[in-house]
Formats: sequence, structure tokens, C-alpha cells
Amino acid sequence: MREIAIAAISLIVVLAIPLLHRSPAFEDFVIRLSAMALFATSLNLLVGNTGMVSFGHGMFYGLGAYAFALTMQMTDLSLPVAAALAVLVTAFAALCVGAICVRLSTDYFAFITLAVQMLFYSVIISWQSLTGGDQGLRGGIPRREIFGFELASQLHMYQFCAIMAVLGLLALRHISASPFGQTLRMIRDNENRASFLGIVLWRARLWAFTIAGAFAGLGGVLAALFVSGAYPELADWPNSGQAIFAVMLGGINSFLGPVLGAAILLALNDVVTRITEYQGLVLGIVILAFALGLRRGVLDFLRLAWPGRIR
Amino acid sequence: MSRFITRRKILAGGAASLLAAPWVARAQANTLRIGMQSILSGPIALLGTSSRNSLMMEQDRINASGGFLGRQIEFVFRDSKGQPQEAARIARELVNTTGCELLVDAEASSASFAVQEVVRDLGIACIHTNSETSSLTADPKIRAPTAFRVARQGVHDAVAGSIYLAAFANDKKLNKWATCSPDYAYGRDTTAQYLQFFKQFKPDVEVITDAWPKLGQPDFTEVITKLIQAKPQALFTLLYAGDLSAFVNQGNIYALFSQMTVATPNVDYPVLAAIKNLPVGIQSATRYLETFPDTPANKEWGQAYLKKWNERPTNWSWQNAVAMKFYEEAIKKANSLDGKALAAALTGMKIKTPFGADGTITMRDDHTTIGYAIGWGQTTTKEPFIVDVKAADWGKILEFETEWKKQQKYI
Amino acid sequence: MDLSALGACLTTSACVVTQTTSGLIVGMLLFLVAAGLTLIFGVLKVVNFAHGTFYMLGGYVAYSTLGATDSYTLSVLSAALAMALFGVLFERALISRVYGSNVLMQLLICYAVVLIFDDLVKIVWGPEFHAMGMPVAFQVPPLFIAGGVVPPFYLVLIGIAALIAIVLSLALSMTRFGKTVRAAAINPQMVSALGVNTTLLFAIVFAIGGGLAGLAGALAAPVRSLSPGMGFSILIESFIVTVIGGMGSIAGALVAALMIGMVRGFGTIGFPKFTDGLIYIMMIAILLLRPQGLFGRRA
Repeated sequence: MREIAIAAISLIVVLAIPLLHRSPAFEDFVIRLSAMALFATSLNLLVGNTGMVSFGHGMFYGLGAYAFALTMQMTDLSLPVAAALAVLVTAFAALCVGAICVRLSTDYFAFITLAVQMLFYSVIISWQSLTGGDQGLRGGIPRREIFGFELASQLHMYQFCAIMAVLGLLALRHISASPFGQTLRMIRDNENRASFLGIVLWRARLWAFTIAGAFAGLGGVLAALFVSGAYPELADWPNSGQAIFAVMLGGINSFLGPVLGAAILLALNDVVTRITEYQGLVLGIVILAFALGLRRGVLDFLRLAWPGRIR
Repeated sequence: MSRFITRRKILAGGAASLLAAPWVARAQANTLRIGMQSILSGPIALLGTSSRNSLMMEQDRINASGGFLGRQIEFVFRDSKGQPQEAARIARELVNTTGCELLVDAEASSASFAVQEVVRDLGIACIHTNSETSSLTADPKIRAPTAFRVARQGVHDAVAGSIYLAAFANDKKLNKWATCSPDYAYGRDTTAQYLQFFKQFKPDVEVITDAWPKLGQPDFTEVITKLIQAKPQALFTLLYAGDLSAFVNQGNIYALFSQMTVATPNVDYPVLAAIKNLPVGIQSATRYLETFPDTPANKEWGQAYLKKWNERPTNWSWQNAVAMKFYEEAIKKANSLDGKALAAALTGMKIKTPFGADGTITMRDDHTTIGYAIGWGQTTTKEPFIVDVKAADWGKILEFETEWKKQQKYI
Repeated sequence: MDLSALGACLTTSACVVTQTTSGLIVGMLLFLVAAGLTLIFGVLKVVNFAHGTFYMLGGYVAYSTLGATDSYTLSVLSAALAMALFGVLFERALISRVYGSNVLMQLLICYAVVLIFDDLVKIVWGPEFHAMGMPVAFQVPPLFIAGGVVPPFYLVLIGIAALIAIVLSLALSMTRFGKTVRAAAINPQMVSALGVNTTLLFAIVFAIGGGLAGLAGALAAPVRSLSPGMGFSILIESFIVTVIGGMGSIAGALVAALMIGMVRGFGTIGFPKFTDGLIYIMMIAILLLRPQGLFGRRA
């Protein structure tokens, strides 16, 4: 119940801001953050909760974007249907990939997910007739109406993305706090004990992987809406890296850690791009400061600094 | 602390307001801001930096003669690193937050399509200056009302290049060809275009093998040996910049260039400057050449650029310069900065410029430029580096372009 | 996909010899570049995601040294030494702080270093690409060995790569230093308790690993382009070699590199547009059938 209240209040705050002051850059930021927050939080279901380090999570983000954009461009399906379809396709793909990968132990799991992602990326680039190759899907996504939101309007896009993000995060929180989530954390902490208790390890991991993939796909749908298309960069492994960094920067042990990390990365990107062309230099120094200074994500650090006060 | 107002929230609120500062839009000054975005880092950084150099020269020139509509112009440069979603974000930020009233999109192909969608949404005037992919303006579904392209086009180069190479091949009796192009949209589509027209002008040409290295691939060894053993008489390659340099260096130690003639549209000043043992006799197009067109105006501009930046201009440099000239004339004609008004002024406009084949370049109805200087010649080791330059026949180019557009169902 | 061309090649001895030779060259160069990464992972269990940066800096240092002194040998040596030093600094200042942590923390730090140095290189040497050019000594025509074309420059590189492979394997398995280092990786406290200076040990390993990467960068520079961000593709290549070969096995890396070289050599004929896809499939297959890699030890 507490989560729903927090979510409701956050949503009200976020939706109220444009009523007080319109700032297109801030709205763009929230739209992009919605996509990335879902992406990073879904990854943390694997990394932080289950102890499965996936280097290839970006493939589901990209798949969600492409599935959605292709459906919108090639068919006349309405937006919610196209979005749902994209998430289902991604979930199914995650199921298939997971079936191959989850039996491997940690390090190798990381490598094989990376290899599958690189293969997936390579297919996107080669299958030019379907995906547009390295140029991505061009021509834009028809900005249709959904539940009264006119997505051609930035305000409506902002509201839609904020609501989707909050709902998605709430769902992920529910999963993470549920007995299933407890099972995952038990597996993370001591998989032998978990299996002695009768838990089928690979099945739990496969569920986690599939759910994580599905939510990443949802993030991809929002990303596709923002750029009005789909680009291979969304499915490339540096993008997987972005999600990992968001999780690390924000806090691997806090549910909202990835969201905060994503916000930090996006904000840094926006601010630094305006000031200097040497973004890598500045970003690198900031990351080192976080990594060496705090040694853990921001929210994890704050929790340790003020124990008991922060959930 | 109450249940709902946690320390976490307060911290978040504090951080948010600190970070909000950049997003509050800046007040409008009398300077006319023009947004420019491009690739300013990574392996193809030269694309953005040489565009920026040229635009800085234009800024000085235009401001010296009064600016646009009496306002001094100021460029705002941004690096998208070639990432489409970043390019889209930057385009929106330049217009919505930084208050730019015009856009110069100096992105390479993939990101320019992303910017196109933003321009379609926002209705602001935008000139794409570096994207050579034809579909950006040729495809009616992708063309946008206020977006224009001032840049060479893949299909124009393909026709011009094929005509020259067919004549050259007939002259030297080179019937067996091989191709080696980077394995991505530009490489694949443009090679296909060249071959399509090549076969039309020289039906007895035979492509005996093709190689498709990855863009940025460090090691071309297996590609080079594959080419050598196929024993073609000539090689057509679309490799460029650092890749072309690496390919030439690696090809040299295999004596590739003594075994086949090489043709590429991409030997330009940066490649010439970087490669120390560039083989002579490579058939190349002139991306930018100080001596073609062989006019005082062209030479003067090239020299001025060299003097100011201590490096020679690139193809991207002249394209951006011409874009600003178009903006200058269109703004004078429309007496406005409004997207629609500028679009009306730009359509069909013809300007005088040193980079035109006959001293002029025209902006066509389909929002892309024609009449710019295209030449093919062969390389030498000394100035002017490309000699025996033959100018392309624009009549033929337009004729075959129309046919190609019909084939693609663009018209 | 061009299976007929592949079939034609496999049945022509000239083609088989030439592509096998070029596969060998590609493979040995891959090994040369990947050796440093394999060593550091094998010994320290740290994936040096900044490996590409060492390679890149090695290339640039060699480029500048050649410009200043006109001596290729000096360029290569200075690059290797500079990167060895950089390796020590990198290990002491950054990696040593995250030895016990999550591999993701190490990844984060390496990523930061990559970002910083890509920009530093851009500031110092400029954004456009540079070419070092072939040293005069190697500007000679290629040799014809057993029907295959082999440039002398590559013969030298292959020789150096083979030498490194032998020296490293023997050093790790036979010398006391090698054994100490491997023991320290498995149980640093015990080794340290036995009186060995593990701090120095780890620094030395990073020096060697970094130095190898820099050496590879300098050796390959005459035939490759230098540009900021060039380390990225090198990192991926090296990573694949190390994973397929088996983390920490020098012999495994060598075999894996040669396998990849062969796949590229013949893949470019049969599958010209999907050669890298083949390599990823190979990597996936190995990870499924034998996750520890060809010569790796089960963790």
C-alpha cells in the first residue's frame, strides 16, 4: 500500500509540474527517463535481485523498440495494441534466450548474454530490408491517439510516458516485493540453500529473465515513441552498458537505485553536452568520483549513512 | 519523519531543483542563434569539425555584412556522437530550450533521419548539410516541408562516377572488376547504385567478386587476399577516411595496387594528408579540390580555409558554406525566419557559388541541390593531388536520376 | 551467402593456401592484441575493459616517437614501456581499490578510464585519424611461400606473437614467479602471509599486461589507422578471443585466435556479409558446450 501511495504522489507531482512551468527540455528529460528507468530497473531485477549479471539486456530494449515501431509503420493497429504486442514479442524472445542462457553460472552467463546481444545486433544491421539496417526505421511513427492522449503533443507524450513509467515501476516493485522476489534474493545469496529448500533454480531464473526482458521491451516502446522510430544503437551493447551504469551509480540494492542512476546519467549527459564537447572526459571523471568515492550506488550509500531512516 | 516525506524525497527534491536550472529556458537576446549538430568525436570526428570550421568562417562573413535581418548570428554547436536518439534530443533542445531559430543539421546519414522527424514535428527551417543518402529528400514519405538538403547525393555521384569509370574502363580495357565496400547502408546501397549504372554504361563489365569489411574493422588482411586471388583488373571501393587509409597501408604490403587499378570516390584532402605512401593513379572523385572548379573564387576560399584552420577543407566544409549562402539569400527573399516562408523561398532557388559546376547551384523542388561540381581524375603524390579532372555531365545525371527515382517508386 | 564461392575455394589449392595463410596472419595478430587481456584475467581475475585504451595509447605513442626519432624500434619499445608504466599506475590508483568488489564496479571504472582517455587523445592528437606509415625497412615486396602471399612485415609480427605465446605460457607454468602469481590470484592472503609482496606482484602483472597491449598497438600501427575511440573494436575482438580460448589460458587464446582467423579467412568468401555473425555463433556454441572455454579450467 505504501508503494502505491508513493507512486501516486510522485505521479501527481510529475504531472503537476508542466501546469506550473512548461520546459520542453525537462519534459524531454522525463520522457527519456521513463524509458531508461524501466530499462535499468528491469535489469536490476536480474543483477541486484537474482545475482544474474546480464551484459546483453539492451537486446530486449531494442527489440521492444523495433517490434513497436515496425507494427506501427506496417499495420493499422492502435497504439496500445501495438505496444502490448511489442512487449509480448520481447517477453517471448526473452523466454527463448533465457532458456539457453540461464543454466550457465554467473561469469559465463554474462558472456553468453553479451554474445547473443551482439548476434542480435548483427542481424538487425544485416536484415536491411526489414529493419533499415544501420540507419534504423525511418519515416517516423504515426503519432496516433491513445486513450485521449494526442501523442503529437509533447505535453501528452510527457504525461503518457510518466504514467507508463510509474505503472511499470509499480509492477516491478510488486514483483520484487512478492514471495517470488524473495525467492530470487534467496537464490542470489545462497543458491545451494535455495535448491535444498526445493526451489527449481533454473525455472526461477528463467521467470526473472523473461519478466526483466518484457519490462525492458516496454522501455523500448517508450524510447521508440520519443525518437519516432527505432535505431540499432538502442540494441547495441554500449546501451546495455548504460543500464548497468545506471544500476551501479544509483544503487544495486535499492529498488529506486536504477531510476536515480538513470536520472543522473541523463542529466549529466544533458548538462555536459551544453558546456563542453569533451563529454567523455567530464563523464569519466564524474563516474570515477562516484565509483572511488562512494564505492557503491548513491541510494545504497545514503541508506548506509542514515540507516533506518530510508527504506 | 512522516511516512510519506522521507529523507530520500527531500534529497531528491533538492537535487532536482539544482538540476532544473539548465532546463529553464534562457531569455531571448537579439542575437540570432543557429543550431548546428554533428559528429564531433570518434573516428569520423572530422566530418563535424570541418563542417564547424566552415560555419565559423561563414558566421564571420555574414556578421561582417550585417547578419540576417539586421541581427548578428551565432552558432550553437553540439556533438551527437552520431547517435540517432541523441541527435533527436539535441535537435529538440536546440530549438525548444536554447532558442535557436534555424537549424543546420551536419549529421551523417543515420542521425539525419532522426533529426528529420524532429523537424517535421517542430516545423522549423532546417538544412541537412552532410547526409548523402538519397531517400532523405527523394522519398516523399521521408521528405519534410521545412527540411532541405544542401549536399551531394549518392545517386548523383553514382551516375557521374559510373559514366567516368565506364569510359575509363573501356579505354583501358578493364572488364573484370571487384568491389570492396563497408558493410552498412552507405556501403551496400551506394555500391549497388554504382554497379547498376556502371552496367548500363558498360554492359560487358563483370563483377567477379565482392568483399564487405565491417565499418571500422582494424584488419583487412583476409579481404585483401580474397581480392588478390580473384585477380580482378580493377577494384571499386567505397572505404573512406581511416578505413581507406588502413586498407591502403595494408594493401601496399601485399602489393595490391600493382595488381589492379583502384577506383574510389573518396580520396580527399584528409586521406591524402594522412596516407604517406598513397599509390599514384587511383581514379578518384573530387570531394573538395582547390583546383576544381578551376576558378579564382574556389582557390581563394580554399586558401582562406587553409590559412585559418591550418588544414585543408573537406567536402563537408563546402557543403556547409553553401547552406549558409542559401539561408542568406532565402532570408533576404522571404524577409522572415518562419519555417514555411523560408521553405517557399528556398524551393527552386538558384545561388551563385564557387562550388557550382557552372558557378551556380540550384535547390530543386524535392528539396535537394543540383549543379554542384563533381569531377573525377587520378591521384598523384604532389599538389594538386588529383589531376586530369573531368567534369561530370549534369544533363546525364539528371536523366538517370529520374529513371532511378521511378524505379524506386519515389515518383 | 555465397556457398558456391566457398566450395570453389575449398577445392582450389591456391585459394586454400592463400586464405589459410591470411587466416593465420589475422589469427596471430588477434592473439598479439588479446594476449595482454588474457594474462590479466588469468592471473588477477580482473577483466581489463580498458584494454583497448592501452592498445590505442601504445599506437599513438609509437606514432609520435616515430615522428620525433624516425626509429621504428624505438617507437615500439617506448610504447611498450609507456603502457607498462600506465598499467602500474592504473592498477595502483584504480583497480586495486575494487579487487573484491562486484565485477560491475571494475567495469564501471574501466569504462570511465576509456571515456577519459578517448577525449585526452582527441585533445592531444586531434580528432582526425592519423596513419603512421610503414617503416622504410619493411617497404619491400611480399614473399611467396608455398603458394601463399606473405608480407615480410607480418612474418615479423607473427614471430613476435609466437615468441610471446611461448614465453608467457612457460613463464606462468614453469617459473617460480609464474606460480607465485597464479597462487596469489587464488588466495592472496595466504600468499601474502607467506611473505610475498602481493601488491608488487599484482602491479607487475598489470605492467606486463598493459605493456603487451601497448606493444601490440605499436606493432600494428604501421598498417592501421589511429583515431580516438579505436580501442573499442579491439576490446571486443580480444574479449571474444579470451572467452572462446578460456579465461587465463595463453594456449587457449592462441588456438581461439587462430580459429577466428580461419573463420574470417573462409567466412569472407562464403559469408561475406555475416562473418562476424559466425564468430558470435561460435562464441555462443562454445559457451553452451564448454563454458570455461577451450582450454580454461572449470571455475
